[in-house]
Amino acid sequence: MNDIIKGKWIGKPLDRVDGPLKVSGAATYAAEHDIDAAIGFIVEATIAKGTIASIETANAEAAKGVIAVLTYENAPKMAPWGDGADDRFEQSHGVLVDGTIRHYGQPVALVIAETLEQARHAASLVAVTYDEQAPALGVDRADSELAEGLDGGFEPTNRRGDFDRAWAESDLTVDLNYTTPHMIPAAMEPHSAIAEWDGERLTVRNSLQVIASGVACLANTFGIDEENIRVLSPYIGGGFGSKLGQHYDTILAAAGAKKLNRPVKVVQTRRNLFHAGPHRARIEQRIRLGATRDGTLKAVNFETWSTQAIGYFYTEGPMASAASAYRCDALHWTGKTRQANETLNDSMRAPGEALGGVTFEAAIDELAEKVGMDPLEFRLKNEPTEDPASGKPFATRDLVECMKRGADEFGWADRPKEPRSRREGRKLIGYGMASAIRGNMMQEGSCRIDLSAGGHLTVKMDMTDIGTGTYTILTQIAAEALGLHPDDITVDLADSDNPATAGSGGSFGAGTSGSALWNACIALREKLARAGGFNIDPDEIDFDEGTMQAGDRAVALADVLKDSDGFSAEGSIKPGEEHEDYVQNSYGAHFCEVAVDMDSCEIEVRRFVSVFSAGRILNRKTAHSQCLGGLVWGIGGAIREELWMDERTGGYVNRDLAEYHVAVNRDVPKCDIIFLENPDPKSNPIGTKGIGELALCGAGGAVVNAIYNATGKRVYDLPVTLDKLL
Amino acid sequence: MTANAPDPSDSALPPPIRRTMRFLLNDRPVFLDRVAPDDTLLDFLRIEKRLTGTKEGCAEGDCGACTVLLGTLDAQGRLHYRSANACIVLMGMIDGAHIVTVEHLSPRGGPLHPIQQAMVDHHGSQCGFCTPGFVMSLYGLLMRQPTPDRLAVERALQGNLCRCTGYAPIVRAALSVAALSGTDDPVLAERPTVTKRLAEWRDGSRLEVSGHEAASGNAEPGGATILPSDVPYEGDVSESEGASDNRILRPASVADLARLFEDNPAGRIVAGATDVGLWVTKFMRDVGPLIPIGHLDELRGVEESDGALRIGANVSYTDALDALAERIPAFAPLLWRIGGNQIRNMGTIGGNIANGSPIGDMPPPLIALGAMLHLRKGDARRDLPLEDFFIEYGKQDRWDGEFVEALSVPLPSPDAKIAFHKISKRRDEDITACLGAFHLMLTDDGTVDTIRIAYGGMAGVPKRASAVEKALIGRPWTEDAVESALAAFEEDFTPLSDMRASADYRMLVARNLLRRFFADTQDDPIQTEAAQ
Ligand SMILES: Cc1cc2nc3c(=O)[nH]c(=O)nc-3n(C[C@@H](O)[C@@H](O)[C@H](O)COP(=O)(O)OP(=O)(O)OC[C@H]3O[C@@H](n4cnc5c(N)ncnc54)[C@H](O)[C@@H]3O)c2cc1C
Ligand code: FES
Ligand code: FES
Repeated sequence: MNDIIKGKWIGKPLDRVDGPLKVSGAATYAAEHDIDAAIGFIVEATIAKGTIASIETANAEAAKGVIAVLTYENAPKMAPWGDGADDRFEQSHGVLVDGTIRHYGQPVALVIAETLEQARHAASLVAVTYDEQAPALGVDRADSELAEGLDGGFEPTNRRGDFDRAWAESDLTVDLNYTTPHMIPAAMEPHSAIAEWDGERLTVRNSLQVIASGVACLANTFGIDEENIRVLSPYIGGGFGSKLGQHYDTILAAAGAKKLNRPVKVVQTRRNLFHAGPHRARIEQRIRLGATRDGTLKAVNFETWSTQAIGYFYTEGPMASAASAYRCDALHWTGKTRQANETLNDSMRAPGEALGGVTFEAAIDELAEKVGMDPLEFRLKNEPTEDPASGKPFATRDLVECMKRGADEFGWADRPKEPRSRREGRKLIGYGMASAIRGNMMQEGSCRIDLSAGGHLTVKMDMTDIGTGTYTILTQIAAEALGLHPDDITVDLADSDNPATAGSGGSFGAGTSGSALWNACIALREKLARAGGFNIDPDEIDFDEGTMQAGDRAVALADVLKDSDGFSAEGSIKPGEEHEDYVQNSYGAHFCEVAVDMDSCEIEVRRFVSVFSAGRILNRKTAHSQCLGGLVWGIGGAIREELWMDERTGGYVNRDLAEYHVAVNRDVPKCDIIFLENPDPKSNPIGTKGIGELALCGAGGAVVNAIYNATGKRVYDLPVTLDKLL
Repeated sequence: MTANAPDPSDSALPPPIRRTMRFLLNDRPVFLDRVAPDDTLLDFLRIEKRLTGTKEGCAEGDCGACTVLLGTLDAQGRLHYRSANACIVLMGMIDGAHIVTVEHLSPRGGPLHPIQQAMVDHHGSQCGFCTPGFVMSLYGLLMRQPTPDRLAVERALQGNLCRCTGYAPIVRAALSVAALSGTDDPVLAERPTVTKRLAEWRDGSRLEVSGHEAASGNAEPGGATILPSDVPYEGDVSESEGASDNRILRPASVADLARLFEDNPAGRIVAGATDVGLWVTKFMRDVGPLIPIGHLDELRGVEESDGALRIGANVSYTDALDALAERIPAFAPLLWRIGGNQIRNMGTIGGNIANGSPIGDMPPPLIALGAMLHLRKGDARRDLPLEDFFIEYGKQDRWDGEFVEALSVPLPSPDAKIAFHKISKRRDEDITACLGAFHLMLTDDGTVDTIRIAYGGMAGVPKRASAVEKALIGRPWTEDAVESALAAFEEDFTPLSDMRASADYRMLVARNLLRRFFADTQDDPIQTEAAQ
């Protein structure tokens, strides 16, 4: 266990270091850099599949203020979509390459003008005709193939144990078909980019979660060296997966800037983003579960069918929720998909478990009911001693502790035992619970730190802060390791000139970048200790308040620094063998109460108690906010969010925030969030685990189970909107 | 009216014409000679003035990231501030106003404003993109209500979306702010100066400005097909043909409006722009020549006479919460379900009616109460029952050049039982799927004397349930009577399915709302008290 961490800064609820800038509107987001840029406006394809027959731009070009209209006929050369790399974030995202249309809303032209009004108006003057072909849209089980792999590193199939036998030996079974809808991350900041070229050198300011792969993508798209590319994303107005990679805003701004030899800015409108931005795919899920009469889970089989955008290999795996959950004799899964002319289907916050945490946890609830057991008892009874999917040992496991603690705090014992058995006036009351499990990932990352002669530390890496609080927790880590005050630390992020990390995504950001920084600090401690004349293991030296102290020897950092050129160190991290040998997860349990109106079926989520175990908590405030935010996504996902695809066009009917319903303040119930703080040394040097997505996993499951308990109705076609409860 | 401004409505002559628009932006006056009908305040702030603290999250009034304060003088010359969505405020509307953006709250590098500090302390900001909007919404609240309770805070945040925080930290931040004072708040400190300046600008003139050429179009880029959902709260679809008329004609008075609109019947009246603003940002429709009327205080009054409330067309939802809900309490819960504070501050009852949408929330209750609409064209006025105004989907009984001046709502008897139930998919900030408005009078022996029932969302127009009413009138008000009247819904309505609700759901809920109304009348505390 890490003995250097005494908790002086790590774990403290430090206010966000970027808070003052954000509350005063002074933080500079992608579209807000003071650069004199021409404005690009996107013209969208209005078919899902086919080719452009004609594209008429003369009227637009003649309109006042218009500088250029880019189409596939005149755009700067870009590599075709998908070229250059297998990784979907690194491959070419070339657009306006040829006349082929792969999805509705695909950009067919970029109108560039002096002002936004001019560009927008001229965009309406571009006339496009198409040779339309019948698009492939939606899930088609018969036409699907095994996915190349499932998100989160899961194989597309798993065959542990003999399912047929376990199924045959089960006394009670459920065989359920669920669908989860198309969704959209809908970060509040729309995708935006300003690009400028200086000869062969491209600089992009945009809103991007992972800088390094974004640089590779630009290199592959424009056929230039990575050294010639600089990407900066200092402030990002939310990502949730939608900004993992480069999207049309950036590619088109770069193409436009190249064409004009002048900076170009592209801000996608909210409506445009619903089509020309990433989504979560609709997924059909079949879950078969079997148990014996005494409540022993025997058989689990989880099959999914989804769609992929053409040339964009990504398949979400809701079965992730079953992988590490409950003991059973056989655990099988199969993830199938097919290429369809749909908008970009991609990763959205807590891919896999966000969905499986609803469907699988609902299926478990249904099986427990068949067995005649309290769903909590059923889960406790089937607690595994090794990972059900792989047979590997768990690095840590405290799901049971989470469930027991949550049940106590919530008052689960008082639950309505029969569905539809508790009423308050014209409202039906129900309780529900679910477990929360989310894979804990680590990635590679490196970091450089410079301590100036004046005693100010600068931390440099290309890690991003998408709102999670990275600037703040990195400040705390450095302060703790080096005994500096946070005011003496500057964290410089999201610049591709800094050492590379895997950025923000999959809840690995804090652990990866924090560990790289930690290792850099350890290296710096060693240098400082030597310079201070210590001959002992630097770990035995106490760095605090600008002083190094061991036994009765104390040396002020200022003394070591004053005649120096400052000190620098580098640190890096990669997932250790512990991530191979052990199964690593964060855990939690959700309990919730709902009230359903008998006349209108309106659902009110009344209260939540959630207990989480996610290793060491770096900052109580940021951790709490991450969990509350995630929980609210769980609620929204269960009862609100869904995109409606127009079956004729492949576009979405509700392409705005009026009709795509994210949770609002009054959808949020009273939430008690409790942390079990168990630092996990097998995870990384600082003992943290992923936290940004955990709370979302299973939160929706608790809600739908509570709705069933209230109404006696199970809804398999999510979300549970009021008309489905009739 | 201030003393030095002549009342132009008395004058038969047209008022003087001014060709420069003027308003205050934070601490500075702004003068503009060229303003187009479709110029939005948000684009002006972010692009023209580089005041990027005000964010754009949707450009449709849904997210609140663009919230600013709009300070205007009332008829008595008192200065009031209200929050508004800058993305759908058209520039033509803000002549003579004080616009306050987040940049004005704290000097750069100086101490934060108490609201901002509270947001930092309570971790109310994560990615931060929504944050200035929340700060401004809370600011707007504190301007009206110095020490708000939790409910008031929650209501003030209805129109702001945050995808990161889960909202609770923001609510906590809001509740921790103490009442503002002139020492820590710039707007309070500047009040006298601002009031004086805005009063000086009230000179009784008409504003006429026009915009840059060809800065507007009326099609979706690329000629995108308009999907079914693309016409949600839109009823009036009269497109102006041919070249766009780029003028903004801001009348000096109601008399001047009557004249201007009669002369320019193709003009587009805009009151709060909570519908019209979206035509610009969402559908890129041409709205010129634009005739802003939101500043006309003469249209903002609520008066009681002869047993009726006369409500001016410009009465906003926020105004109505005071004036209307006080006399007819059933309005309060409904009004609190419309948009957020920004929309309630700007959206008007006249606009909601004139817009003609079948899912507008004001027509069904007003029809159930038997409201009369007062229309005016030039000097000619006519009255008609509100329900007759709605002819069919997208068509109202309004002549070219005619506008809504006011409506009269007969004050219901104290014994009347009244309820308005709105059902929407998301409880807050959502458009109605089905709205039922009920107004019942019983005789002494518990027989239905009169009942008026009107629904929204059940037909192409807001519509009375005449067959259901007929099935109930003269019958005892009992569960049996209600149950047997339910069949009559089939005669009154054949609702449609859309993404807000299926036809079956609408039909069932419409019936259930009558059941709910019946149940509520049974355990009405007043009635129970009377029975004891
Ligand atoms: C985010 C959001 C949420 C909303 N939520 C709701 C809701 O919950 N319920 C609901 O009912 N509505 C809702 N609306 C729409 C609602 O705000 C409008 O219908 C509002 O009442 C219109 O008033 P306005 O003053 O803004 O009208 P404007 O947009 O200014 O005008 C609307 C129409 O009325 C005409 N008009 C305005 N005044 C007059 C007049 N005096 N005489 C003749 N014509 C006139 C205009 O020319 C235009 O055709 C919402 C809108 C938004 C953007
Ligand atoms: S930008 Fe979303 S409400 Fe104005
Ligand atoms: S802090 Fe990110 S949207 Fe609110």
